[in-house]
Amino acid sequence: MSDAQNQIKETVTTNDVVLFMKGTKMMPQCGFSSRVAGVLNFMGLEYTDVNVLADEAIRQGIKEYSDWPTIPQLYVKGEFVGGCDIITEMMLSGELDTLFEENGVTFNKDAADQIRAANA
Amino acid sequence: MGQDLKEAIDHMSITTQMETRLIAAFAPLELEIVDDSASHAGHAGNPGGGRETHFNLRIVSAAFAGQSRVARHRAVHAALGDLVPQIHALSLDLAAP
Repeated sequence: MSDAQNQIKETVTTNDVVLFMKGTKMMPQCGFSSRVAGVLNFMGLEYTDVNVLADEAIRQGIKEYSDWPTIPQLYVKGEFVGGCDIITEMMLSGELDTLFEENGVTFNKDAADQIRAANA
Repeated sequence: MGQDLKEAIDHMSITTQMETRLIAAFAPLELEIVDDSASHAGHAGNPGGGRETHFNLRIVSAAFAGQSRVARHRAVHAALGDLVPQIHALSLDLAAP
């Protein structure tokens, strides 16, 4: 594996929740990254953000790693979960809560319910 | 050829190619291709506006039955092939009937 692939593998396996995104969780630089980071931030989740705009090798490498052509990409316990559309759908259906609960990732359930209520 | 006309033809070709490939791959019951590029004019990926860069697709197909969300998205990415790197953003709403 290339350095980038090794680095990605280490990042997603040593951190419970990782979001590869454009910009940072405090300052997203793309609407799709912003939407996912906004959801995770509001849910009070602790997660690692990787700014792909800061590293071209990671930006290309992450697409190969997951065989997924777009960014953002969310990983939980080393497993690729999805991009913006999938995370949004899973958030609204409650599947994202279940995924975090099953993996022992703590978050604010009330905040998650608030997001769903606001989008009902 | 004028620049406007050339852009119009380029524009048509991506949408048409998408439609052709998606119909061939999924025989969809519903297929909606929305070019949302204009609302992203001036943003990353469409800095000057006017280009065909942002798409919203809705596809309802029996081919998605029993597939996970990730598998459905991957199938669409595969069907679109080299069109995917040509555009900046692709939003997918994929359902089985």
